[in-house]
Amino acid sequence: MTMLARLVRYRVTVILGLTLLVASLTVPGFLSISTLSLGLDRGATIGIIATGMTVLLIARQIDLSVGSTFALAGITAVMLQPAIGIWPAALAGVLAGAAAGAINGLLSVVFKVNALVATLATMLIFRSIAHWLTDSQPVPGTDIMLSVALSKIYLEIFTLRSALFVGAILLLHVWLTRTVAGRNLFAVGSNADAAEASGIAPGRTVFLAFVFAGALAGVAGVLQSLTTNTGSPVFGAELIVTVIAAVVVGGTRIEGGRGSALGTLGGVLTIAALTTAMEFQSVPAYIQQVVSGLILILLVVLDRTVRPGPRTHAAAGASG
Amino acid sequence: MTDVPIQMRQDTTQDTTNERFRGGSPLVDLLSRGGLAIAILAVLVYGSLTSPFFFTTGNFVNVLTSMAIVGIVVVGMTFVLVVGGLADLSVPATIACGAILSLALQPVIGPVPAFAAAIALAGLCGLISGLLIGYVGINPIIATLGVGTIVLGIVQAAVGGVIVYGTNPDTAALVKSRLFGIPVIVLIFLAVAIIGHFVLSRSYWGRWTVATGGNCSAAEASAVPVRAVKAGAFVITAICSGLSGALLGLTLQSARPLVGTGYEFSAITAVVVGGISIMGGFGSVPRAIAGLVFVQLLTNVMVLQGVRTPVQGFVLGLLIAGAVALDVALRKRGGGA
Repeated sequence: MTMLARLVRYRVTVILGLTLLVASLTVPGFLSISTLSLGLDRGATIGIIATGMTVLLIARQIDLSVGSTFALAGITAVMLQPAIGIWPAALAGVLAGAAAGAINGLLSVVFKVNALVATLATMLIFRSIAHWLTDSQPVPGTDIMLSVALSKIYLEIFTLRSALFVGAILLLHVWLTRTVAGRNLFAVGSNADAAEASGIAPGRTVFLAFVFAGALAGVAGVLQSLTTNTGSPVFGAELIVTVIAAVVVGGTRIEGGRGSALGTLGGVLTIAALTTAMEFQSVPAYIQQVVSGLILILLVVLDRTVRPGPRTHAAAGASG
Repeated sequence: MTDVPIQMRQDTTQDTTNERFRGGSPLVDLLSRGGLAIAILAVLVYGSLTSPFFFTTGNFVNVLTSMAIVGIVVVGMTFVLVVGGLADLSVPATIACGAILSLALQPVIGPVPAFAAAIALAGLCGLISGLLIGYVGINPIIATLGVGTIVLGIVQAAVGGVIVYGTNPDTAALVKSRLFGIPVIVLIFLAVAIIGHFVLSRSYWGRWTVATGGNCSAAEASAVPVRAVKAGAFVITAICSGLSGALLGLTLQSARPLVGTGYEFSAITAVVVGGISIMGGFGSVPRAIAGLVFVQLLTNVMVLQGVRTPVQGFVLGLLIAGAVALDVALRKRGGGA
């Protein structure tokens, strides 16, 4: 049991190692620097969103609307380009993401709507707005060359996206482990009442967590739209399972109060390695979905069964 | 302004200690039931005033037919919400399972066995979600999201990721036929709704479902098999969506993998708008169907008015958020006083 528990704790390293091993054995040239760079760039979109999701899951909340926020932010960034220029438009896109997060926070903190249901509703609402703004057509950006510039590879491995992701994860790690606010987040997630009794405002913490997650989904969406020079209302429709899978692989618990930024980094790298390996083997997209679904379910089951601690029925029904 | 955070904190405490629905307040009951009837009436009046096509038999048959497909899912989803299972997000996958398999298996084993097999396999998916939720204790949203993704992928892989077409026109004719002027699909929906209503309100299983949703620990202490009841709700939903998907596939005589997308939200919206608490422990099939009637009529009026599809999605989303927020507010007033 303790052996198994230890395995579960360091599972990110184990799973990542196994994935890389299997991938390098089955895919020729997988461990070359260009493949790794490509994989990292692919993972960056999921990773930036997962960074925000880590904070939310630690705070015992969840955001199902990140995929829609992702699309909406990208569309905002592309559609405003002719009017206010590329960089202000990009900033507006990120702000749109933050605003979407604020709406989620408002619904869940002020109106007390269960986060799962609230973000289920806003997922539908934001996606509808995205379709509405664009007439359900992809919108082209103004500067095609920008996407080339954004895809430039620095230091042989980082693109702008992947550098941003790794930077954000490292900052989050420092924030979670070294600051009072970071520790407060864990307190709110594991026991909101106790946190409140110790003088933390859980409502404010949760609200800010939603804004943070929304803003990061916005950043990912803006980057996606700038690199593809397109804003599309269908972007990000299937991100959510992969994002949650990445965060959960990294050891962050859906029940709140436990998680780490470096774990999420490991989870994202695992998912990125898997996706890249499967794409190299031309595995169809729906099989890739099956794999990320299986990983998610397996790890959540592992979390529930192996980790010692009280198991209550309430946790099954209402952990939002 | 300085009072706001304090107020907020108090509410948070109350919310975590007072999670279950404290039903039985006549005021809350009257408000949610009467409110819905008034809303349905208002939509009827508005629709008949603004569109000459609204009050025609053809239009009502259309509304009923499109209502039937979602309605069968709504009956199952009611069980999920009442048992405190939040929501079943694997509905698009189980609908696709029903639609694709009922058509794809037709040439292999004949139309009737294909129909039965499609529903049985959808039920199996529900059993997997149910076991994960009831027995392992996984958050229902995560479990159904994961299982749905897996099932959809497997179904797509089984048919090679393409659109499946029907090979047996007789079955399509049967599903599209009418009995006493009512489409057969609508009759099937009514049958499912009546069975669902009696199971939920008159049977042991129904009472167990309400008890589990109301207070899981108390129900368990009273020897209610809470785990099985929780799992059962997801099996029921999956069988309903499988049936709904199979009927949809037979009607359209073609099924693509994403055929069920959006049905989960339509069903959840209907149930929540019907005044059934997302916290569980309370609700009935007729209420959910009243919610469905309201949503369907509203959608119909919007379509007749030429409102674009994205706006309709927007309104549905607002309805979910609004109905749940209202439920929380009413619950606090009714239960806390």
